[in-house]
Amino acid sequence: MVVLKLLSPRWLGMAPKSGDIRSWTRFVALFLLGTAFIVGCHWITIRVLRHFQQAQDIGNLLAYKLLSILMITCFSLLLFSSVLSVLTKLFLSRDLELVHSLPISCESVFQARWLESVFDASWMVVVFAVPVLVAYGRVFHAGAAFYGLMMVDMIGLCATAAALSVLLVLLGVLVIPASRLHSLMLLLGIAAFVGLYVAFRLSRPERLADPETFSSVLVYVEHLRGADAPYLPSSWCTDGLKAALGGRHVAALIETGKLWTFAGFLMGVGRIVARRLYFIGYSKSRTAAISTFQMAGGGLLDGIFRLFPRPSIIRGIFVKEWRCFFRDPSQWSQLILIVALVVVYMYNYTALPLHKVPVRTEYLQNLLAFLNMALAGFVLTALCGRFAFPAVSGEGRAFWIVRSAPCSIGKWLWMKFWMMLIPFWVLGLILVVSCNLKLDAGAWMMGISVFTMTMVTPAVLGLGLGLGAAFADFNIENANQAVTGFGGMVFMIASACLIGLVLMIEAGPVHRYLVSEIYRHRQPTLWNWIGLGFSLTAVAGICLGALIGAMRYGERRLVNSG
Amino acid sequence: MIDLENICKRFGSQTAVDRLNLTVKPGEVFGFIGPNGAGKTTTIRMMAGVLMPTEGRIRICGWDMAENPIAAKRRIGFIPDRPYLYEKLTATELLQFIADIYGVDAATGRRRAGELLERFRLSTRATERIEAFSHGMKQRLVMCAALLHDPEVIVVDEPMVGLDPQGIKMVRELFQSLAADGKTVFVSTHTLPLAQDICHRIGIIHQGKLLALGTMNELERTAGVSEADLEQVFFQLTESQ
Repeated sequence: MVVLKLLSPRWLGMAPKSGDIRSWTRFVALFLLGTAFIVGCHWITIRVLRHFQQAQDIGNLLAYKLLSILMITCFSLLLFSSVLSVLTKLFLSRDLELVHSLPISCESVFQARWLESVFDASWMVVVFAVPVLVAYGRVFHAGAAFYGLMMVDMIGLCATAAALSVLLVLLGVLVIPASRLHSLMLLLGIAAFVGLYVAFRLSRPERLADPETFSSVLVYVEHLRGADAPYLPSSWCTDGLKAALGGRHVAALIETGKLWTFAGFLMGVGRIVARRLYFIGYSKSRTAAISTFQMAGGGLLDGIFRLFPRPSIIRGIFVKEWRCFFRDPSQWSQLILIVALVVVYMYNYTALPLHKVPVRTEYLQNLLAFLNMALAGFVLTALCGRFAFPAVSGEGRAFWIVRSAPCSIGKWLWMKFWMMLIPFWVLGLILVVSCNLKLDAGAWMMGISVFTMTMVTPAVLGLGLGLGAAFADFNIENANQAVTGFGGMVFMIASACLIGLVLMIEAGPVHRYLVSEIYRHRQPTLWNWIGLGFSLTAVAGICLGALIGAMRYGERRLVNSG
Repeated sequence: MIDLENICKRFGSQTAVDRLNLTVKPGEVFGFIGPNGAGKTTTIRMMAGVLMPTEGRIRICGWDMAENPIAAKRRIGFIPDRPYLYEKLTATELLQFIADIYGVDAATGRRRAGELLERFRLSTRATERIEAFSHGMKQRLVMCAALLHDPEVIVVDEPMVGLDPQGIKMVRELFQSLAADGKTVFVSTHTLPLAQDICHRIGIIHQGKLLALGTMNELERTAGVSEADLEQVFFQLTESQ
């Protein structure tokens, strides 16, 4: 009863308030979006499974392989999100001091928080997995028992992941304070995800859909039959579901029993450990944070001091940004993501089966190089959404220092822009130049790509910073979440429109040039060059306009918000 | 010197500060008191250039905050009521950042940072990250940052929140010594004995309006009480509204 009472603020806070149109609108919008997502997942899975079933003999094998991958992915996601959720709910939440000061036993607090974290960590995975599993039931014509077992197994998997996470966290916080453990887990989790993702991509999974790449059908079938790890809870879950799909109900119940016995055992151990260790760990998490790592980078800072020997606003802001960035582990993890993104991005171009396409390759190579500019632009948009858009909100409640400093908001905003421009520009160039080299695109296309990225990068960055300033939220707990709000959506749409417009303007002249050069083997005419000149000038003008417009808008909104 | 001329600040239909006129001279410690929501923090934030007034002029040492905000801000040391800082920096690094922003040369910046950290009893924690500091330590660090560029005007919002008795004594002496050096000190506070002890003049604000202004004797006369302390004067004036 006490546990339910402790959970009540959460449910009361989530429910839409009568008379509050905004909260109702948000609730309805979320409901519609969620429904669309669930229906979409279900429909795509049915299409995929029906496609598999067209392959005689191996159709079911492919479907079961997919189920196994799905379950192991769900379990990994559940484990990772449970660790973060348990850490936050049990050790880092702001309201914990209030809750612990209430006349309630520590065990009740633990149980309430644990239930909350199970829900938080699991709901998204369940919402994704259930429509997929229901699709399996429909395609395999499973009976009602399958659907019941599916829910029992999914809850069992969530409970196992959460119980395992609690044990890991309870023991972990005794060694490292909770706030540090949170950053460390986030960093390690993202590093592990990136490693797996890169390894997965480099292993070329597309070959699984192409039996021709295997030496014989037997090798291919063996590849599909590869057994799962027998001691993983996700394997018990997969085996149980497979058995239920095949109508083998006893086998299904045995696998479900294994899963729940293990979950029950872990929950029991977790409760005993929590009784002894939770409050000790909680008290430890309240003590002062001590740096886990000493960051390198002093050499570069010395270089900055040599570059700007006199005290100046530029030096002050640059050094401050550098230090704050590299001392926040959640920022380093983003760097790992960028490196992985660039590696996979470039690898995708090397793996393109250009030799199989029945179109003249030179034209196709240049066309792909042209379209690559759009992809590079979208990658830049995503990165600006992550780094430039939250840059102003990231000042947080310490923004009063900037406001009260002898430096105009506009100058401060432009300084942020110049600091970010070079890394973004270099990254944009790497994306287009390396892919153009891989595609063996012509020097002319290389020139167009470099020019376009040089124009688009500052414009997208300016949109990110300017709109980030216009929609700044200095009270947000995690500035990285800023881009998920309304302002972030405006930025993403504006940036996508800008990239689309730039490519539309360039498409005509580029097409005419390629046709005359490659198909007709003729030098472009004077009119072709004039057209190209006009389009490039228009691109430069639009990008400059977007940059200045967005930055001024952001500055004005920021000044007026004071 | 601080000169406020017909300052108004409205948030939608609500008027937080209503036609405030005030002059604080160099060498003076001015106390600004009033109940919660009276408009003290709003006034202070406008003086520090953090908030724009809806109407009126603010001049700091003759510089108009709207026309020459950079020059005006260069002359202010602002100490807000809540010490939000860049948590990932160390105390020394924060002061170096402030020195760079205010254009204090490196040698002077280092010397003054060392002196201030010593004075505010933070020198032993100077190389620790701010996230490890207590509220009171952060408050003392904000004071170091505000005084680093040797401002002519010090604007302080609730200076005693989170400070230990030693810190309170230190701040009290600090304001008096700053005024003795010819600086202008503007203090908003709920600690009425502090205002009574160190302020040359006191302004009482209520519902955005300045109710009374003057020395302790002048306030007593305005409130119609004699031989009273500031607390009695304060209640007399604010409760009669």
